[in-house]
Amino acid sequence: MVAESASPLDRVFHALAHPARRAMVRTLASGERNLSELAEPLDMSFPAASKHVRVLERARLVRRRISGREHLCRLHAQPLRDVAKWTEQFRRHWEGAFQALDSLLEQMKSKERAAPRRRGSH
Amino acid sequence: MSTATLKVATPTDTTIVMTRMFNAPRRLVYAAMTDPAWLPRWLFHPPGWSMVTCEGDVRVGGKYRWAWNDEHGHPALLIHGEYTEVSPPGRIVHTETMEMGGCGPMGTLVSTLELIDRGERTDMRMTLAFDSREARDGALASGMEHGMEAGYAQLDALLATDSR
Repeated sequence: MVAESASPLDRVFHALAHPARRAMVRTLASGERNLSELAEPLDMSFPAASKHVRVLERARLVRRRISGREHLCRLHAQPLRDVAKWTEQFRRHWEGAFQALDSLLEQMKSKERAAPRRRGSH
Repeated sequence: MSTATLKVATPTDTTIVMTRMFNAPRRLVYAAMTDPAWLPRWLFHPPGWSMVTCEGDVRVGGKYRWAWNDEHGHPALLIHGEYTEVSPPGRIVHTETMEMGGCGPMGTLVSTLELIDRGERTDMRMTLAFDSREARDGALASGMEHGMEAGYAQLDALLATDSR
């Protein structure tokens, strides 16, 4: 849970940390949708979808308006532009994988030194 | 590129570009990065996760499938797609569709891997191209969720140094 005192950026990261909410953001990038339209592709109940939309609203990524019985949601993209600056987390995640790749490449090179390939093979 | 650490850039609204150098000849880097026999050794392993499927037919039009279970043994992540360009040992392009824990397909990206021969070393450039800015930004944020050591303290430190 993200505390009420969390900074705006914390809320945006928390909002985007869930795959269902990222899927909703993607859908809303194409235009306004009601709650059923957001819930349906995720095979999710209306209350569950509404909960996710509330998290997105608290992060100020989504604005909801009520029209009759419909809850219409619209994407507010400005907070996402702030998130885009934070490539550091993404970088660290991939750097971990590439460090494992470094180790694998060392093992592959050692194996080749131990059992050299025939000269002339590409 | 003179260092081995990864650089991440967002040169356009819908792309992420990763560049890095590897201390190995290009043919080995190409094999390690494309052959399903090697991928589970490095590709992506949040703590406790295991890669349970790693299949691929590395040719134009060939399909691949990568799947992970979480620490409880439940399906956690599925990535699948198709190779659209295969030019060993320098270039390979594939589509990537991710599905996470029952949420259904979450959009598709195109991944372009370019490897440049530097003799005993190799320079890598990987470009991830998304359908929209929102999809790209969502991918950047997704590194936060898989038990990665992100810590709000580290984020605070980053915020303190960012003067924009």
